[in-house]
Amino acid sequence: VNEHELDDVLGDDVPDEELARLRRVDALLRSVPAAPAEVPSSLNQAVDRIGRARPFWSPRRLAVGVALAAAVAALAFGVGRWSESGREYRAAVEMAVEEAPADASAVLKLGSRDESTGNWQIELDVSGLPHLPAGDYYVLWLARDGEYAAECGTFNVGPGLTRVEMNASYRLDDYDAWVISRHAENAPWLFSARIS
Amino acid sequence: MYTATAESDSRLIERVAAGDRDAFTELYRRFARPVLSMALRHLGDKGRAEDAAQETFAAVWRSARSYRSDRGTGSAWLYAVARHAIIDRARQRRDHVAELPDEAASDRGPDERAEDSWLAWRVHSALEELPERERVVVELAYWSGLSQAEIASYLDVPLGTVKTRTRTGLARLAGLLEEVEA
Repeated sequence: VNEHELDDVLGDDVPDEELARLRRVDALLRSVPAAPAEVPSSLNQAVDRIGRARPFWSPRRLAVGVALAAAVAALAFGVGRWSESGREYRAAVEMAVEEAPADASAVLKLGSRDESTGNWQIELDVSGLPHLPAGDYYVLWLARDGEYAAECGTFNVGPGLTRVEMNASYRLDDYDAWVISRHAENAPWLFSARIS
Repeated sequence: MYTATAESDSRLIERVAAGDRDAFTELYRRFARPVLSMALRHLGDKGRAEDAAQETFAAVWRSARSYRSDRGTGSAWLYAVARHAIIDRARQRRDHVAELPDEAASDRGPDERAEDSWLAWRVHSALEELPERERVVVELAYWSGLSQAEIASYLDVPLGTVKTRTRTGLARLAGLLEEVEA
């Protein structure tokens, strides 16, 4: 708004007192820098977590609890696998938080292997990661000696718990860790889990 | 004169002190951009500014019980909380922060810089109280470099509408800023 435009905006029917008041605001606006156009979604999400008491049965605890209980039951009965919601699993692991937010979690469950294709069924329960904008995504991959070795699948997350189903046709003996990171070169590891 | 019908900042802080999440959310909606703006100006880095803003609101949640409405406005209390968070963030990098520096006014003394910072805070906080349609027009008018005709074209609304919203927005801002001074 230049001086000419301001006169045009205010018009010529404004009482002197009101005119002076509006000109003071005009001068104030000219004297301060612009605020950022918008607040980053990462800040919105971080602040949204402030003060929220986490119920004992959070999505993370529930997922880990169910998986561990099933694993214990499987071991107790010598079955070596268990079923949950109609799917069969062989192992479950809560991935260690690396550079993900402290209250984020990722539980990886390994299902059965399709003998005809060699595909492993993988189910991933993730919570606490920020939703990524279009074109950006997270990757679950296999590492060997701390380096990227094979990609198992990509995903994005929503609020709360996100469940992702994937397939991977690799021989797990060839790798030593599962890793989740953002899809970017040299992106830091968000979660990891050793393959034993 | 415009009269604010929304709940006052002071009342919202008191509700936050009682653990009211809705009040906290409303306080964040009102002050997120002013806090981020101040942090960006003084830290000069988006990531650190975001961290300082996050710490500000974490401190608001933790410390709302320390607020006393008889000692000052809610906006002034929030400004002080944000300022502390920004200084802490700056100190983590061992930056020398005797007063919050302001790049736009680096030739000004500490008192003047503090006044500039408080002024920007008041203006940005007041802008957040405007109806969205007025805030957008005022921000475009003062900080985009667009003329009124260009704003009309950009927003795809008649030029008369842009002028009306600008004028109404200025009048509303005048009322809000006088409330802060009161």
